[in-house]
Amino acid sequence: MAGAGAAPGTAQSARDGRKGRGGRDGRVVTGIGTRSGPWAYSAPAILSLLAWVYVPMVATGVASLLDWNLTTPARFVGLANYRRLLADHDFYRALWQTGSYVIMMLPLATAVPLALAIALWLRPGRASRVYRALLFLPVVLAPAANAVSWQFILNPLQGVTNAVLVGVGLPGPGWLNDPSWAPLVIVAITTGKIVGLNTLLFSASLSAIDLSTIEVARIDGATSWEIVRYVVVPQLVRPVALLGLLCVLLAGQWIFTNVALVTQGGPDGSTDNAFYRIYTYAFTFFDTGTAAAAAVVITGGVAIGYAAVRLVTGRIRRAGAPAAG
Amino acid sequence: MAVASAWHAGVLIVIVALLFPLFWVAVTSLRPANELYSTSPIPWPMSTENYRDALFRFPLRMMLLNTVIMAVGATVLQLAVAIGAAYAVVRFRPRWTGALLLLAGAAVFIPPQALIIPQFLAATHLGWRNSYLGLIVPQLAACGLPILLLREYLAAIPASLIEASIVDGARPAQTLRLVVLPLLRPALAAVSILVFINTWNEYLWPTLIAPQANRTTIQAGLQLLGNQEGPTSGALLAAAMITTLPVLAIYAFASRRITNAFLQSGIK
Repeated sequence: MAGAGAAPGTAQSARDGRKGRGGRDGRVVTGIGTRSGPWAYSAPAILSLLAWVYVPMVATGVASLLDWNLTTPARFVGLANYRRLLADHDFYRALWQTGSYVIMMLPLATAVPLALAIALWLRPGRASRVYRALLFLPVVLAPAANAVSWQFILNPLQGVTNAVLVGVGLPGPGWLNDPSWAPLVIVAITTGKIVGLNTLLFSASLSAIDLSTIEVARIDGATSWEIVRYVVVPQLVRPVALLGLLCVLLAGQWIFTNVALVTQGGPDGSTDNAFYRIYTYAFTFFDTGTAAAAAVVITGGVAIGYAAVRLVTGRIRRAGAPAAG
Repeated sequence: MAVASAWHAGVLIVIVALLFPLFWVAVTSLRPANELYSTSPIPWPMSTENYRDALFRFPLRMMLLNTVIMAVGATVLQLAVAIGAAYAVVRFRPRWTGALLLLAGAAVFIPPQALIIPQFLAATHLGWRNSYLGLIVPQLAACGLPILLLREYLAAIPASLIEASIVDGARPAQTLRLVVLPLLRPALAAVSILVFINTWNEYLWPTLIAPQANRTTIQAGLQLLGNQEGPTSGALLAAAMITTLPVLAIYAFASRRITNAFLQSGIK
């Protein structure tokens, strides 16, 4: 918001007032006047956000105080839903698993794409461009189709993965039917997208690197590895930190779609996460009150997390908007 | 030479790992039903029966059409709304600019699951279940991101251009139409691509608001097909490929444009 010096608002409104024949008080006969102008242009956006985001959010807050299954009349129950939620073992497990997903995904979302981006950057050319395009492809693939593919190749009895494993004498795991493997599969599917996106973002940061620093290092006799390690990587600390923090905040969301599509939280709740819990309470158990209470608690957690990130990254914030595909 | 092959090998290993499921499903979808679990990487003997099954036993074409209509509708709607808001804050510099941007920015971070019950009830009360209105209009909840992005692009237009049009007596609508929109065209393309892909891939909302097979989108539809009794796995794989092919085709022609769209919106 470091606006370039423009005409001050007063001069601007004087001009508008003059041209809009309606007089000085800002009422304009033809067109949109200065007073109503900004409102008229932003009203659709403000109303959309109120209608589909902020009013629903308040409604969720109200619903968290009701006992309601969408069919019988709602009954006010105070904080009973929150008490029930905080006594629910499944809710804690979902929270815990949301955290462990983040821990599993963090290196895959930062170190792997960073290495790929640097590798592609070191050898520019047609091969690099093709590779980068192929790495990005999973980002645009529909998750629903992707889920079908993974379920098919990981079929424990007939899938190609286990056929190969058994063929070389290894045991074929149950993958999505096995509580210890299923979360890893979800992480693998989700990371497929994040690797491509983050490689692209790191590549962009690399192209902005100050080439004279590399030239100086080369003149000083640094090897390519030393240049990467001591010149390039230190200049990428900010984008890496930023994408890492975004990963912490958004991993739960990215995971959600794949959990909903591939495992529905199972087997034995091993792939459940916080966001899928809200969905389960609401649309599997039709327990609107508990779902709303969980939504309030989790949104509060996200808000606190976001505020913390803003505090930490006040300076790197300008480098990235929260677009995560 | 050894370094070069190590480089190619390293990158290719990741690419193969990422794209293997797609490759395998593409191959398998071309096998006859009794060869579905063959481990040969070549689909021979080849058969189109899975595709015929998918296209004629499921309302797949209807689902594709629904998805196109939803994605185009949501993109147009979100962009229209976002252009207005971005233009309002850059052209008029109202005192509440910060508040509007906060409203848009916070909306990006609110988990959609926290809003989905009231959204679902509202859309149901409006009679929008299994309708295009129900698929499209609630996507306005996602207009926060395009607002933020377009405002960044708009703010980068030299203020003198907008001022000059004001001095020349252009009304705000004329400034928007004749000065701002032509300059904004590349940005609009980038943001449209982003919104379109996000909406195309949307899964949760269509399953809730349009559960009926011929009224839903391809994403929700694939899940419905998977749960049905009749269809064989082969038809499901073919359906997944049919879902993927338009995306692949667009990506093959416009990969640069698409990656740029993600890049600009992720870095700006």
